[in-house]
Amino acid sequence: MAIPEKYRLKCDFTIPERYKHHVLTDSKKPNIPACNIKTLPGDMTERGCAFAGARGVVGGPIGDCIQIIHSPAGCAWYQWGTRRNLSDIYAWSGPGRLCNDSNNRRRAVTTDLQAKDVVFGGAKKLEEACLEAWRLLPGAGGILIYLTCTSGLIGDDCSSVAEKVEKEIGKPVFVIDSPGFCGVSQSTGHHHFNVQFYNQAVKYREAHPEVCMKEEEKGPYDIAIIGEFNMDWDLVYIKPLFEKLGCRIIGVFTGGERMENLLKIPDAKLNVLHCQRSCTYISDLIANGFEVPYVKASFFGKEQMAKVLRDVADFFGSAEMKERAEQIIGHELEVISPAIDFYRERLAGKRVGMYVGGPRVWHWQKVMKELGMKVAFSMCTFAHEDDYEKINARAEEGEFIVDNPNEFEIEECLDKFKPDLFLTGLKEKYLCRKLGVPTVNSHSYEKGPYACFRGMVNFARDIYQGIYAPVWKFVRDKTFI
Amino acid sequence: MTTPLKLNGRLTIKDLNALPEIPIEGITYDQMYIEKQPICPEYIAPDPNIIPSSKRTVVIDPGRICMPFGAMWASVGVHGCIPFVQGAQGCTTYPRYTFSRIFREPVSIATASFQEDTAVFGGRKNLIEGLRNLIIRYHPEVIAIVTVCSSEIIGDDMEGYLEEAQDALEEELGPDVLEETQFVIIHTPSFEGSHVEGYNRAAKAFLKTMARRTTPNNKVNIIPGMITPGDIREIKHILRLMDIEGNILFDISGTLDCPLRLPQAMPYYPKGGTKAEDMKDMGNSMMTFALCPDEGGAGARYLEKRFKIPAAIGPVPLGIHNTDIFIKDLAEATGRPIADEIKDERGILIDAMADTFHYTMGIRVAIYGDPDIAAAATRFCCELGMEPVLIGSGTESKQFVKDVWAAAHEYNLKPTILNGSDMFEWEDYLKKDKIDLILGNSKAANVSKEADVPLVRIGFPIYDRVGYQRRAYVGYRGGEYLLDLIVNTILDSKFPDDRVHQ
Ligand code: SF4
Ligand code: SF4
Repeated sequence: MAIPEKYRLKCDFTIPERYKHHVLTDSKKPNIPACNIKTLPGDMTERGCAFAGARGVVGGPIGDCIQIIHSPAGCAWYQWGTRRNLSDIYAWSGPGRLCNDSNNRRRAVTTDLQAKDVVFGGAKKLEEACLEAWRLLPGAGGILIYLTCTSGLIGDDCSSVAEKVEKEIGKPVFVIDSPGFCGVSQSTGHHHFNVQFYNQAVKYREAHPEVCMKEEEKGPYDIAIIGEFNMDWDLVYIKPLFEKLGCRIIGVFTGGERMENLLKIPDAKLNVLHCQRSCTYISDLIANGFEVPYVKASFFGKEQMAKVLRDVADFFGSAEMKERAEQIIGHELEVISPAIDFYRERLAGKRVGMYVGGPRVWHWQKVMKELGMKVAFSMCTFAHEDDYEKINARAEEGEFIVDNPNEFEIEECLDKFKPDLFLTGLKEKYLCRKLGVPTVNSHSYEKGPYACFRGMVNFARDIYQGIYAPVWKFVRDKTFI
Repeated sequence: MTTPLKLNGRLTIKDLNALPEIPIEGITYDQMYIEKQPICPEYIAPDPNIIPSSKRTVVIDPGRICMPFGAMWASVGVHGCIPFVQGAQGCTTYPRYTFSRIFREPVSIATASFQEDTAVFGGRKNLIEGLRNLIIRYHPEVIAIVTVCSSEIIGDDMEGYLEEAQDALEEELGPDVLEETQFVIIHTPSFEGSHVEGYNRAAKAFLKTMARRTTPNNKVNIIPGMITPGDIREIKHILRLMDIEGNILFDISGTLDCPLRLPQAMPYYPKGGTKAEDMKDMGNSMMTFALCPDEGGAGARYLEKRFKIPAAIGPVPLGIHNTDIFIKDLAEATGRPIADEIKDERGILIDAMADTFHYTMGIRVAIYGDPDIAAAATRFCCELGMEPVLIGSGTESKQFVKDVWAAAHEYNLKPTILNGSDMFEWEDYLKKDKIDLILGNSKAANVSKEADVPLVRIGFPIYDRVGYQRRAYVGYRGGEYLLDLIVNTILDSKFPDDRVHQ
């Protein structure tokens, strides 16, 4: 559906292809923008590469593996301790002393490809590097090898290297072949990681049945949490809630998890799927391959969090668990209500713009409502149709949506809709501030965790601090403009 | 509820979830106690035989990033310039992320958005379309076309494609459009060198494209290298005191440290940066100073060869000796006397050194960073009577080794020098030695905590503290600031409070 003239962004007059990425929401007949397609070169996109999706988002949180980047040092450096995907697994820094940062963020390991490798191939180098890394970084649960543009273009046969190394070290060695150029956005990398990890994990389980859970080890309420990356320790609140419900969490894909637990995930009774953009793939694969169903979940906000607990209790069907779910929900709401009421009072009627990868837009639409705020417009870097369907369903009628926004569109939208706050990532937030718009980091948070009932207070506080920081009154002092 | 003392009042996961009420302020990460799980039950020592970089293939914790990043850094310092990166999106998004992390500023960089088909057919279409889309919306004064690993491997003919792109632009928008934007092509395959070399190549590429000889001026050229906006301001201050006019290349002081002032024009362009006309004028200057030999030396050498402009290449004017060289060279090249204010500033630094040497002398220091800064910091530590015992450069450099040895020789020291090694090797030396202080960037923060050796932050990158990019380390006043940092860190870590009252 064409959007009314007043929503046509001026900055795109000369690149009208962009207009098909803009829609107004409709809850009855969802308007889906053109999405998950190539970016226009030179349009100042905010998108990253497939490798970033594979290594940064999905693989990065894995806690106990050596993650070796088969590339020049650059690609590896950029992935080194950047995202706040935290973990409690720490390597030893010396006898009796653990490292200062969790294992997944502590080091950058790379083959450091050189010109001669580009000409003659880098497979041999990769093999040596894996074996050396194994001796230099002892105790790891496995090795993950990532390809990037350079190794992807050289065309090294990394799978046979992985097989050899796996035999040598006796732990899983998986290859994630998702070079930067191989997809339209990070999203391709999520997909690749899911499928490739799943296939190799299944193969490994078949070859090493001892890594699977034995029948007698399995419990009736075993669940795995899928698509949860432990930003700023969200898991601090997520895990205990399910445990209080009576479930046992046998693995998290992938936030802070160990390889041995990742391999056990197919042995769960139920998967609880949080990030439905990056991890529906593996949930479907496990559902088909192992007949483990999954429930879709959002861990943000009161209503959505309550729904997950109820859905899980309903799945297991025990009356006791259902009752417990209600108790937990009732109690948690009480625990946070003074704080949430405080913020609701101060945030009511404020207007917020949202820009995230994709799912968090619809995860957070309800949260904003629960805080009494209005969504002025929303943007997604790599959402697909299903994300936009959900966004349409949850939005106020006629909310402006932009797929794969570029820098200029962000500026124009801030100017046009004048939100009181913009939820956005690190690259964009400094631009917003130059325009006088406060921000909250929607990827790595300001001072999280933001998940679950208790985390929502942190989220509300950061939004409140964003809007009410004294600095903004100086910005608008007419004398100094 | 009681919390055990060993947790410093922090809440365990269990306590957190048992709290009967969440306070208005919420509970943040720093208030939580997360019990660390060791990766394996017992410490296992890394294989000592392959700890030296030279004995292995794998690189762990590289102290260098990719070549295009250096070229982007340089280009971002040009007024009205947007780099256009000929590669897949990551090679642009990651550097932008890195810039923003360090400078806390927006940085506009365009990408050619390579896809799978580009890998097969090459990036011709991406460049032609991409430049069009960029120019028609942003009207940049300069576009720096930066190649990356992928475009170099594919073998994109950048010069040829650019011509095609210009023809297409002229056809669509008329001949005036070609006047509007100037282009500089910088080839930066990362598998041939690091960010240091990227900046170096950018210096040469920009000057080759822009600098012209018209009428000689009385100016000096400054090629700063990857120093901070604060450093560049300090250089300008020195030139002002000496009454010398300068053309400063890649002036990030006006692009990567900008005021928040409304209203802001759209699209956002920072006010500052080196103007095209100033780059053109660099062919007329009396002398070129490349402050960092490995980052910009190539530009100075180019001007020397092409326009016979004498070049002074390094050392970074940090500390007494190095700044003295810079000031003397400036005075000599321009015939200006050394300003009295400068002598005062030097005097103040020396006064501070005289006041503090009891704290600094004998302090064993480990240094890691980019070659030019690491070498200069080494010498300054020597001047303070400290003992640099372990000096590492992430990027290999002959000049670095030469400069460090020269200082070591003068001060009678025999440091371990790691040239182009990774931080893993440096860290191992450090943890095995008795070191009092580290001078390094944010990447040394973990090592500092693990080895219980305090860290003074300097160099690239610093993203885990604020303000460092606004400060100057160069010049006498920069030395003063660095000295204060060093001494205060020593006082914090080495001296009991009752010992520092007089
Ligand atoms: S592929 Fe891109 S990010 Fe990686 S090293 Fe090369 S230029 Fe840098
Ligand atoms: S080289 Fe490729 S994989 Fe590496 S950062 Fe660039 S786009 Fe991503």
